[in-house]
Amino acid sequence: MNTIFKQIRNLRLNINFQNKSISLFSPLRLKEINETQNKNELIISGHIVNSGREPYLLKNPHPTVCPVCASGLDIKHTDVLILSQFVRTDGCMLPRRTTGLCRRSQKRISTLVAMAQKSGLMPNLTPANSKKDPKKRYGWKKYNKYFDESTIKIR
Amino acid sequence: MSVLKRVQQWATFARIWHLYDAAWQNPFYSAELLKKYLMGAHKPIYHPMNDCGDHVIVINSSDIALPGDEWKKRVYFHHTGYPGGASWTLAWELHKKDPTLVLKKAVYNSMDGNLQRRYTMERLHIFPDANVPSNLLSNISNQIKQLRPKPKRLDEYTEKEIQEFPKLIDLPKNHILR
Ligand SMILES: [Zn+2]
Repeated sequence: MNTIFKQIRNLRLNINFQNKSISLFSPLRLKEINETQNKNELIISGHIVNSGREPYLLKNPHPTVCPVCASGLDIKHTDVLILSQFVRTDGCMLPRRTTGLCRRSQKRISTLVAMAQKSGLMPNLTPANSKKDPKKRYGWKKYNKYFDESTIKIR
Repeated sequence: MSVLKRVQQWATFARIWHLYDAAWQNPFYSAELLKKYLMGAHKPIYHPMNDCGDHVIVINSSDIALPGDEWKKRVYFHHTGYPGGASWTLAWELHKKDPTLVLKKAVYNSMDGNLQRRYTMERLHIFPDANVPSNLLSNISNQIKQLRPKPKRLDEYTEKEIQEFPKLIDLPKNHILR
């Protein structure tokens, strides 16, 4: 019985291995998906693009730790030029498998992103249905607010 | 009296006009700063019975900032004196009504309640925006430093500044841009 299971597992591994080696798309490239609508047809096309970050990438002097910890920066919620590197165009935080941060930094950065969004400091990185301008928000939310980074609770 | 001493005498007892930009400043911390200038407590000749306070012009008071959700947590109490005349107003409702009142009340409450307080408040000129009458503006000879820097929004940076800012992470190669 045991041997049969082992064989099946080996077979699966082989299949997986085979699947990995065959790919329909060119793998390991940054992709951009565009949708264009003309008359009755919707054209969805994928483009391989460059992130444009390579020439400005900070060198990580300690490759075993995550880029944020290695940089040694005390990032505040007003540092929108740093925080905007970790969000999508709709302003939502990128997952940890994409950012490659450690658990602590990911948690801290996502809290800082939320603070910056609440302060209205990244109005161009918002969902499509957003009013963009923080002054058009409802009730008390339209007034300026700031946050204290020491209130972020991380173990 | 020499010329130098005479000018020193004028400079000592002249009222100075200060400018303070309240944009993105906490009104309660600003009040602690402004009251020193209004009472003249920053001067070596200060004495409670010495009328040596300065004028302060505060601009952009509609752009003051409160920490976290304090706009909806801070409550202003008023009682008309009649039964059932109590009312509670949230800070953002008061600010909506009059964008100078939160700062004015903060400065007023930061000072001790004595006979001088009303006269000291007369030297505080608050404007909700940067439109100050030119006869007041011509008096200004000093600017008070802001307590916290005014944050710059992401859409106020140019495309080039954002692109050329040092990057902490690069997107992985299998990332799909959205
Ligand atoms: Zn880390």
